[in-house]
Amino acid sequence: MLKVENIDVYYDKIHAIKDLSFQVKKGEVVTLIGANGAGKTTILKTISKLLTPTQGNIFFEDKPLNKLTADQMVYLGMAHVPEGRRVFAQMSVEENLQMGAYIRKDKDNIKKDMERVFGYFPRLKERINQPAGTLSGGEQQMLAMGRALMSKPKLLLMDEPSMGLAPILVQEIFNIIQTIKKTGTTILLVEQNANQALQVADRAYVLETGKIIKEGDAKTMLNDDSIKKAYLGG
Amino acid sequence: MVLFLQQLINGLSVGSIYALIALGYTMVYGIIKLINFAHGEIMMAGAYFAFLIAVSTNLPFVAVMLISMVLAAVLGVVIERVAYKPLRNAPRISLLITAIGMSLFLQNLALVIFRADPKIMPTLIAKHPINIGPIQVGTVTLTTLVLSIIFMVILDVFVKKTKPGKAMRAVSEDKDAALLMGINVDKTISLTFAIGSALGALGGVLYGITYTQVYPTMGILPGLKAFIAAVLGGIGLIPGAVLGGFAVGMVETISKAYLPTQWTDAIVFGILIVVLLIKPTGILGKNEKEKV
Repeated sequence: MLKVENIDVYYDKIHAIKDLSFQVKKGEVVTLIGANGAGKTTILKTISKLLTPTQGNIFFEDKPLNKLTADQMVYLGMAHVPEGRRVFAQMSVEENLQMGAYIRKDKDNIKKDMERVFGYFPRLKERINQPAGTLSGGEQQMLAMGRALMSKPKLLLMDEPSMGLAPILVQEIFNIIQTIKKTGTTILLVEQNANQALQVADRAYVLETGKIIKEGDAKTMLNDDSIKKAYLGG
Repeated sequence: MVLFLQQLINGLSVGSIYALIALGYTMVYGIIKLINFAHGEIMMAGAYFAFLIAVSTNLPFVAVMLISMVLAAVLGVVIERVAYKPLRNAPRISLLITAIGMSLFLQNLALVIFRADPKIMPTLIAKHPINIGPIQVGTVTLTTLVLSIIFMVILDVFVKKTKPGKAMRAVSEDKDAALLMGINVDKTISLTFAIGSALGALGGVLYGITYTQVYPTMGILPGLKAFIAAVLGGIGLIPGAVLGGFAVGMVETISKAYLPTQWTDAIVFGILIVVLLIKPTGILGKNEKEKV
């Protein structure tokens, strides 16, 4: 579904991603794990065209993305839950979700999908008319995920959904990721919380300073000694 | 008391013109963080469009007004595309200097085309006084006030209820997040310039009719006062522009009534200094941390 081939990306003047390749198959949950500054966010931003690689190609369903712009990605079936949630703070919960469905014209189905999102996150429904800026961090994360789901993506890119959240909320978020996975949505998940990420993922890539240093089956990695030491806290 | 009430109505009328112009400043600032100093010249252009249409056709006032607004909207979009868009990623000071340059360019272009002597705006609105109790209100004053309020309500509904209006708010909050929603940011910015310019032109048409004159530098003073109105209300906030516009209009007419007229502009500009000293974010503005 997604194929990244030999990309190089500069973030300002920093050579953040070096000759990196990986792929995500249809229906898979793939995670990119790695420490802060390894280049995880840069990769997601490059895939959704917020950044442009200086070298290499990205293919989505075998279509090259190099001539396209960020706002066209949603039309192809990609949705990005950005780092730090980036909800529209002055707009209400409902309006945020409507923005997620911006490209869609099927009003009745949009309503149904909004109910589906409220099914995942009942708390959002309670706060439907509240400005998103007044929500707690966890609720904002739920809103950012719900907003992305409103475009009915084939591929969901998620950047650090657990960042800054209380452990109980982290668990809740990952349970929802599990549920989304069951609906057949392909997911590319970037996480520092390697333990949780590996539990939900099928496959994983380990990233260090802009390079992939390890790849493989997620469950195998959970038991891999070197991974345990570096990323799972023992 | 009668004088006060009389000036209050005049203040509302002048204030509504400032509010219309201030809306353009605030909307453009909201979306690309630019004080568009050429906005006063858009207002001037709007007045000239109305003048040209009025002297060359027999169209009724409403048609003259609407066509002028559309032409000014096109002008605003062209200015954005030609002068501001290439600087989208440049430092903000470059953009600001370009806006000042654009303002001077348009003033001088108008000087070349129309010459410096003021043109008399044809009587587009039949003038006769209406008596409300002891107060006398002119038709122009009343029309100005009513039209401004109608367009402010339309704008409010547009921004709050329609999809492009919501997209506009999304872009002004977070461009990258808006892109991820599939919103075409360039088109949304163009739309903002179009609407802001149309409202500015409406202000210009009404200003031209109120003072019965059209001239190349007519945009400078009302442009600056509308800018002050936008800052006073809280730049970037649509209700702030309306509030600030009415406030500046009131201060101006009331001070004209009770103080020597020469003081008026000093008092209005004094407001800017006071606002910047006491509450730089304006009346409705919240103190927010500068986003990096």
